[in-house]
Amino acid sequence: MPATTRPQSLICEVTHRCPLHCLYCSNPIEMQQSAAELPAEVWRRVFQEAAAMGILHLHLTGGEPLARKDLAELIQAGHEAGLYVNMVTSGVGMTEERLAGLVQAGLEHLQLSFQDADEARANYIAGTRAHAWKLGLVPLIKRQRLAFTVNLVVHRQNLDCLEEMIALAESLEPNRIEIAHVQYYGWALKNRSLLMPTEEQVQYALPVVEAAKTRLRGKIHLDAVLPDYYANFPKACVGGWGRQMILIDPAGRALPCHSAGILLGFEFDNVREKSLSWIWEQSPAFERFRGDAWMSETCRSCDRKERDFGGCRCQAFLLTGDMEAIDPVCTYSPQHGLMEELRKPVGDELLPIYRNS
Amino acid sequence: MTPDSIPQMTPGYRLHPTQDVVLIPEGVLELSGPSRDVLLEVDGKRTVREIVHNLAAKYEGADENEMLDDVVALLGRLAERGVLQG
Repeated sequence: MPATTRPQSLICEVTHRCPLHCLYCSNPIEMQQSAAELPAEVWRRVFQEAAAMGILHLHLTGGEPLARKDLAELIQAGHEAGLYVNMVTSGVGMTEERLAGLVQAGLEHLQLSFQDADEARANYIAGTRAHAWKLGLVPLIKRQRLAFTVNLVVHRQNLDCLEEMIALAESLEPNRIEIAHVQYYGWALKNRSLLMPTEEQVQYALPVVEAAKTRLRGKIHLDAVLPDYYANFPKACVGGWGRQMILIDPAGRALPCHSAGILLGFEFDNVREKSLSWIWEQSPAFERFRGDAWMSETCRSCDRKERDFGGCRCQAFLLTGDMEAIDPVCTYSPQHGLMEELRKPVGDELLPIYRNS
Repeated sequence: MTPDSIPQMTPGYRLHPTQDVVLIPEGVLELSGPSRDVLLEVDGKRTVREIVHNLAAKYEGADENEMLDDVVALLGRLAERGVLQG
């Protein structure tokens, strides 16, 4: 089915290199090597194509975007194309001078994540000693003309400290706080047994987040991403396949989501060879799960298909082996019972699997 | 937000150059009616009252007091969402 909506966001993984090794990293297990990374002139063309298509937001992420020496050039290219430029960073490699250069180049929003309120536990999750560095960076960020988001990724290892984590985030005075339960893809899936929260933790966290939202209203905007293994209906993953966003990996492959590279039998077109508008409008990969023709009869006849667009294809594939299956998060899936199994607590003797850099 | 407040756009929140939306971190806010015209006047220097006085000259026949109430309410909502400071 051809595109019926225009994309709103372009997410660019400009590198997979990263000084952190977070247990919940959403990067694919098969990461792109630095030699394969797109050069700045290709990114510049892609940003211009994106703006011409009506895309408004450019998200520069990674890996760690600062690992690219030409990051300021990329930001400037996005800004000059007319895009709102956001950057997701660990802050490792940032200096006051470099940050000033990025803001001058057109950076408008920076997102910094904290792995815990406690330094030792935060460093354990990040697989490196980054927590104190990040805290030290915040005053430098606050001095710039820049929107600032603090991201808190939550899971079994830190959910009991959620109130302390929110208090830490609040003390940093960002414009926005995002509290996101880990989504189980990439490295996070490898560490699922270590990260899966318990029922008690999820029940504790919900009112804590709601109370924080109310308390901070008018001061700090709070967004929350729910733990979908505990849901009865699937998330509208990336706002629906091929409906809102395009992700470009470091080598230039255009994907409908962070994780789609795992789906078998797919050819993803590369922005080195094809224009972004062709990829959006014509590429088989983006068309594959648009509309409802691919859906099971259960989904096709369900009112919720306009809300969740059939849930997450990667999750269906990862959990059932069939990418066309009903997302097992859905209560109407014959495999919904799987979720209960996967939520069961396992011992803490499990060893973490850290991504390499 | 009061008639004597001096609103200014928060860094990282801005009016789209042509479309009726405000670009914000991770999204957009749709603007309706004359909201765009109001935001175009926000400069971090003038009070809401001065902004409305300026706008009233453009909107012929508009009641300036009524307009002031509407603009204070609009800017108050945008301030609550973090778009404006001051």
